[in-house]
Amino acid sequence: MPAVRGDGMRGLAVFISDIRNCKSKEAEVKRINKELANIRSKFKGDKTLDGYQKKKYVCKLLFIFLLGHDIDFGHMEAVNLLSSNKYTEKQIGYLFISVLVNTNSDLIKLIVQSIKNDLGSRNPVHVNLALQCIANIGSKEMADAFGTDIPKLLVSGETMDVVKQSAALCLLRLFRTTQEIIPGGEWTSRIIHLLNDQHMGVVTAACSLIEALVKKNPDEYKGCVSLAVSRLSRIVTASYTDLQDYTYYFVPAPWLSVKLLRLLQHYPPPEDPGVRGRLNECLDTILNKAQEPPKSKKVQHSNAKNAVLFEAISIIIHSDSEPNLLVRACNQLGQFLSHRETNLRYLALETMCLLATSEFSHEAVKKHQETVINALKTERDVSVRQRAVDLLYAMCDRSNAEEIVQEMLNYLETADYSIREEMVLKVAILAEKYAQDYTWYVDVILNLIRIAGDYVSEEVWYRVIQIVVNREDVQGYAAKTVFEALQAPACHENMVKVGGYILGEFGNLIAGDSRSAPVVQFQLLHSKYHLCSAATRALLLTTYIKFINLFPEIKSQIQDVLKSNSNLRSSDAELQQRASEYLHLSVTTTTDVLATVLEEMPPFTEKESSILAVLKKKSGRMSAQEAQREARVQAREGNAAPAAEKAQNAQLKTKSPSNAAFPIPQLNNSTSADLLGLSTPPATQNNTQSNTGVLVDVLGDLYGGGGTNTHNGTSAPATISMSGATDNIKKFVCKNNGVLYENDIIQIGIKSEFRQNLGRVGVFYGNKTSMPLQQLVNCECVEDFNGLPDLSVSFTYGNVPQRLALHLPLSCNKFFEPTDMNGESFFARWKNLKAQKIFKATGPMENASIKTKLLGFGMQLLEGIDPNPENYVCAAIIHTRTQQIGCLLRLEPNRQAEMYRLTIRASKESTAQILADLLAEQF
Amino acid sequence: MIKAILVFNNHGKPRLTKFYQYFNEEMQQQIIKETFQLVSKRDDNVCNFLEGGSLIGGADYKLIYRHYATLYFVFCVDSSESELGILDLIQVFVETLDKCFENVCELDLIFHVDKVHYILNELVMGGMVLETNMTEIITRIEDQNKLEKQEGPYNSASPSSLRAGLAAAPARAVSAVKSMNLPQQIKDIKLPDLPAAIKDLKF
Repeated sequence: MPAVRGDGMRGLAVFISDIRNCKSKEAEVKRINKELANIRSKFKGDKTLDGYQKKKYVCKLLFIFLLGHDIDFGHMEAVNLLSSNKYTEKQIGYLFISVLVNTNSDLIKLIVQSIKNDLGSRNPVHVNLALQCIANIGSKEMADAFGTDIPKLLVSGETMDVVKQSAALCLLRLFRTTQEIIPGGEWTSRIIHLLNDQHMGVVTAACSLIEALVKKNPDEYKGCVSLAVSRLSRIVTASYTDLQDYTYYFVPAPWLSVKLLRLLQHYPPPEDPGVRGRLNECLDTILNKAQEPPKSKKVQHSNAKNAVLFEAISIIIHSDSEPNLLVRACNQLGQFLSHRETNLRYLALETMCLLATSEFSHEAVKKHQETVINALKTERDVSVRQRAVDLLYAMCDRSNAEEIVQEMLNYLETADYSIREEMVLKVAILAEKYAQDYTWYVDVILNLIRIAGDYVSEEVWYRVIQIVVNREDVQGYAAKTVFEALQAPACHENMVKVGGYILGEFGNLIAGDSRSAPVVQFQLLHSKYHLCSAATRALLLTTYIKFINLFPEIKSQIQDVLKSNSNLRSSDAELQQRASEYLHLSVTTTTDVLATVLEEMPPFTEKESSILAVLKKKSGRMSAQEAQREARVQAREGNAAPAAEKAQNAQLKTKSPSNAAFPIPQLNNSTSADLLGLSTPPATQNNTQSNTGVLVDVLGDLYGGGGTNTHNGTSAPATISMSGATDNIKKFVCKNNGVLYENDIIQIGIKSEFRQNLGRVGVFYGNKTSMPLQQLVNCECVEDFNGLPDLSVSFTYGNVPQRLALHLPLSCNKFFEPTDMNGESFFARWKNLKAQKIFKATGPMENASIKTKLLGFGMQLLEGIDPNPENYVCAAIIHTRTQQIGCLLRLEPNRQAEMYRLTIRASKESTAQILADLLAEQF
Repeated sequence: MIKAILVFNNHGKPRLTKFYQYFNEEMQQQIIKETFQLVSKRDDNVCNFLEGGSLIGGADYKLIYRHYATLYFVFCVDSSESELGILDLIQVFVETLDKCFENVCELDLIFHVDKVHYILNELVMGGMVLETNMTEIITRIEDQNKLEKQEGPYNSASPSSLRAGLAAAPARAVSAVKSMNLPQQIKDIKLPDLPAAIKDLKF
């Protein structure tokens, strides 16, 4: 029955062999262009092309397209072919369109009518051509044009099976672009009942459609569960001869079984005990069949059988309710782990990953640990090894962490480049998560750097430093270990960074041993210096200045290095600056000062809290972002006091005690006392930067001279008035970033961002020569509130304590989410909700600036809603932890009177008043 | 869902491409190139699944492929498809091609690209499996052939002249006239290796 006619197309053959004989790309392009010109002229010229010629030209165009050349003509000819009476012409027209016409093409409008005609044809072959075309294009226009025809075709009793099948998938395709296309009501049950259709092909196609519908609306289609179970049961328990053509290599309807099992995974185990029992029986039978000897040696037989088996296993894992089946599934997968078929080993590893997360089977999975580790070592296929890594990661717990981490480290040495980075992260996570002994953790991370240094991201080595700094018990061990690691002739730059940091902090702990005496440590680090990038060198310079503090005996040696031309005159500005500043610091300061400046780093904040330290306030009518913290930030204010030679260390303290403006009932409650967890210097990632910042300040006097100290001089004590700041804070109502406070000594900048009820405010402190010190305040809006949180900054300036009483620019409106709505719903809400304020304009009443302020305030500006175009209306929602407060605003400027009328309505009365007060001050 | 079906030869020349999600022409060519690079460097006895390339959806997608003699058949699918099921589908596709062309080879795919598309349309529609029963598929292709025959032969090219046009191709490669007596059992097909002369030709 050869389906292909005994002919070929001579012109096509000649063309293809011409292309094949082309010696160069240019020649090929030339030949193709010639052919394109030929076809174009044929299409344009005489209209007498016969079907054969049309087909030949379209085939040529398809070939050219396949070679990667654009086809920009022939579309109209293809469209005309659709309405041909000849089937062959119609077919080739559809083919051309399916390959070359995309969803956005203008041609689609032209073909809709032809498709409609074919859909109505009596010949199923024509109908199918039309359905295929619709499914191929699948655009919204298609959905609009055929949204009623296709569902009818699908359920009509007169439709032939072939067409029904195509209609189901065509409908699915359109459903993906336009969800409304599926009619509800009685259609639901008619679609579900396709699962009972006689024709297995129809059931398979319907199953795909129903699965997509179930994803969108599981409740409406839950009737499909019992039908699917009974259909499955008929297939699984039938002997394979019953299904005739749908038996594939002795496996009864494997495709449909897989589809049905997939469909059932969208639902929890059936509640009806009968249905549930039947399903479990099916699963049982499938598991039993897996143990039977194969009916054929062909790989197709085992593939089909196992496709069903894996799907059965995943539904067992999905329901996670039948311990008996779970254990059987696990054992079955265990067998596959050592199967000779690579595909099965791959799938077994992948599926076991899911099993490892179930409490019933986690232990059972762990039994296979050895096999999995073995797979990691012996599998030849990187895809399989990758799955083995995933599974090891999933099955890891406290009991086996050490072994698994060790094996992963071993594998890392030879691992494929493509998966190294992911493995490094996995190892780092496991080591931290399950570390009982932190010396082990340190070893693991250092090994990671040693083995796969290039793949160790910054987060990983930052983290090991954080942990070492925070845990006194490992500091000595870490110093010793990095020292040893650095002795390797070639070590990774990341190792130098970690080594530099740790020795700079804790080198003294191992200095007693003559083998790691200070000078040895220094020489060891410095031997790597010239091989490193500028960033690492900068870090090492900081280590060196710390060494001067830790080991005064090697001061002169270090000073020589700092003095060397390659540093002091380095082309890198950062290195040059560090070298010269550190040099001066070591020359001019007393050891006491040096010791204070270079004091050991305070512990880092625990990771979680630095990511999201949520400020809470337990109760009270008002809520605010209350922080009581004492962040000690080593800093130094520029100072040209007479005692310049003993440059002084200053501390910039920020402190925000609760304030009377905030009635906080549980003031003494310890929970509100230290929630921010910010008892450390700034963000972890700029350790080195903050060090520089410190030192730049210290040296401000050496470079800047005495110019800066003028008025707020040394003798003036006490609190600096906050009058300078009040104006600025108002501006923050309508913006998030800017300078909060500035005087001759200090500048305080604010950068803040908000999302729903959470916010983060960065506070930058600095004088004009320095890099700012940064403090991050995380906050959450619990309820609506009035007023602003206090920010009290104290520091020493020229031996005189200074204190600033400021406010953090956190007002209620920061937690706005703009809301869009139309006029109708705006005024409907308007009637319900009110706070009104009439006030005089303080500035010019320009449209642009009013708009900017309203947008900055955080609300959605709704245009074209108010009948009076002069007026402004806005809408937004304030997110707080406990509730969401809808707010509407209307601002009516009266230009003659230079007055505004501001009306705010909110679902909570107090909020409306707060907002009105806040905003009124802005105009 | 199947996102794309790609067939290319051992040198990466595309022989059939079908995308069920829209990509512009340039992107299509890049995807073919990337997929070829991913697939061709793998040994023959490793597993048939790998994570999708960066262009076609990254780790959420899998490439499931089979290598037959000179051709790679690659299906790019999302996680809702059964891997082994897709392998079966590739097998059904190839067996169907083999039945329709009798000992299908790369040249059949080149010269009968239309036919190959029609066969594929009977298997997959809009990215979903339409029919897996080979008998059923072949019946439908035969129905189409009957319609074609009724409309009468309009071609002027005879098999012999075709062969003349392709002087280098042995008769078997473009087996134009097929015997009516097909062996009944389905062979575990190995596509015939073409003589070296053909293999080295570039397309």
